[in-house]
Amino acid sequence: MKGIPTVLITVSPEVSAQMRPPRALYPNGFKIGNSLGKPNMRELQVQVLRDALSLLTQNTRPGKIIKRDYPDYGEYHEPPRVKT
Amino acid sequence: MSFSRKCVPFTPFDGELAKSTVALVTAGGVHLKDQDGFNIADELGDLTYRIIPEDVNAGDLMVTHHHYDHSDADQDINVVFPIDALRALQQEGFIRGIARKHVGYMGYTMQLKAMYEGTAREIANEIDKGSRADVAVLTGG
Repeated sequence: MKGIPTVLITVSPEVSAQMRPPRALYPNGFKIGNSLGKPNMRELQVQVLRDALSLLTQNTRPGKIIKRDYPDYGEYHEPPRVKT
Repeated sequence: MSFSRKCVPFTPFDGELAKSTVALVTAGGVHLKDQDGFNIADELGDLTYRIIPEDVNAGDLMVTHHHYDHSDADQDINVVFPIDALRALQQEGFIRGIARKHVGYMGYTMQLKAMYEGTAREIANEIDKGSRADVAVLTGG
């Protein structure tokens, strides 16, 4: 079985990290329900998607979640924390 | 094939995005309006998934999910299932194509083993053999 290269877009990075995703993007401060941004903000959505896909061609460390800032989102929501 | 709990399941991507076909897989409870919704009455969650065709209109999709606020997705499905954003990337040549099939499922489940061993495998098969995607983008809600 060869496998399928994947990239995850997560808005709960601590939760997602527990599953050790091969590649993952966390748009900083995006709330749950807004993985790609807000409704009808197409340019922002395209940018987030482009950045997520770009991780496939970057030498990211498997299991590491990459955080990127998108000021156009205009808000910051604290992501869920995992209790240790 | 089973993995150690400490493994990172990683498949290398050795191609070029500009020559690649991309599939979307969302756990955000997305499905076509004329498909059955996910069972939100079942406390254990719903292990089923839906196939979403490549030529879908965003307006024909909806969300059935009771574990996140999907009011924004109700307005614009692209916030969790970025099909139009993906089309824009194809138009600009960033990716070559959009996979024939995409998948929506309801990621909430209390039956982790069944999800892991059953649903996840079936979805992987759909994406790999059914849609012949080169890569998959996963989203939650």
